[in-house]
Amino acid sequence: MTDVTITTERILELIAAYGAEPGAWPEDERAAATMRIAEAPNLFATALEEARALDAMLQMESPLEPSSGLSDAILSAAPAPRPTSNSLLGGLTSLIFPQGVRWPAGAALASLLMGLVGGYAYASTGVGYDQADAAYFAAFGIDAEEDWVVME
Amino acid sequence: MSGISELDQITRAASGDRAAQAALVNRNMPIVFRVAYRMLQDRAEAEDVTQETFLRAWKALPDWQPKAKFSTWACTVALNLCRDRLRKKKPVLMDELPERVDPELRPDESLESQQALQRIDEKIAALPERQREALTLCALEGMTNIEAAATMDVSVRALESLLARARRSLRAGLGADMAGER
Repeated sequence: MTDVTITTERILELIAAYGAEPGAWPEDERAAATMRIAEAPNLFATALEEARALDAMLQMESPLEPSSGLSDAILSAAPAPRPTSNSLLGGLTSLIFPQGVRWPAGAALASLLMGLVGGYAYASTGVGYDQADAAYFAAFGIDAEEDWVVME
Repeated sequence: MSGISELDQITRAASGDRAAQAALVNRNMPIVFRVAYRMLQDRAEAEDVTQETFLRAWKALPDWQPKAKFSTWACTVALNLCRDRLRKKKPVLMDELPERVDPELRPDESLESQQALQRIDEKIAALPERQREALTLCALEGMTNIEAAATMDVSVRALESLLARARRSLRAGLGADMAGER
């Protein structure tokens, strides 16, 4: 027995929408509908016969298949396997430190590089030499330009 | 699906698992293609829509929310793409519809059944767009009413109304053929 009650009109609606095959009807109404039809088959005979004829024609439809290359084309655009963060970091580390990471040596190398780069940048401006020369000449009371002229 | 849930398969596909991607495509691509073909009546266009649907799927998978089955989601995307294409096409009068020849017909099928099949194809193709969608999803692809309604973004009652009208139109158009089926 089913708890769902169903009217004659509703069964005719189901047949009109989904056809004669109970398997195509909504699951929650199927049992009640089939039971009601079994109780009064004459009420639904015409509707079922018409629906069955159309169902048979729709079933004649042969399944269409896409071309064989479509699947490959779709899969070629699928996401590639993601590298894990460990393997990415590991690869980068081994590239920079092929002999393995040694932090004290790495820190010393970094300090040396920073000193060289900083010193070069400071020297390349030329400002430092002018200031140093001016301080030197001032300390010894030399007017640099005049002395050079005198010396000539 | 032999012990692997669809969500597991989607998660694996999103992370680049080739086997999971192939399984997802093999299981869902045919229905997407058939729905697109029913709507567009053109194999090349249906394949374009199928490909575009899966391109969108690949982008969507990393953030996938299991609110619906993948096939429902994919058919919704495909239907939207079909609607866009149909809107861009100029209307074709019924007299101008080209005769379709189904290359899948087997040689042993009788001429009569071939002609009947062609007539039903034409009648389905001539249905209004929404009725054709409803009939394709429910009657031809076997979706449940809830899945089909979700795919079309309509209520179940609205779906039933579309189905009933589609079947009524087909019965009226195929009267003589249907008499032979009884």
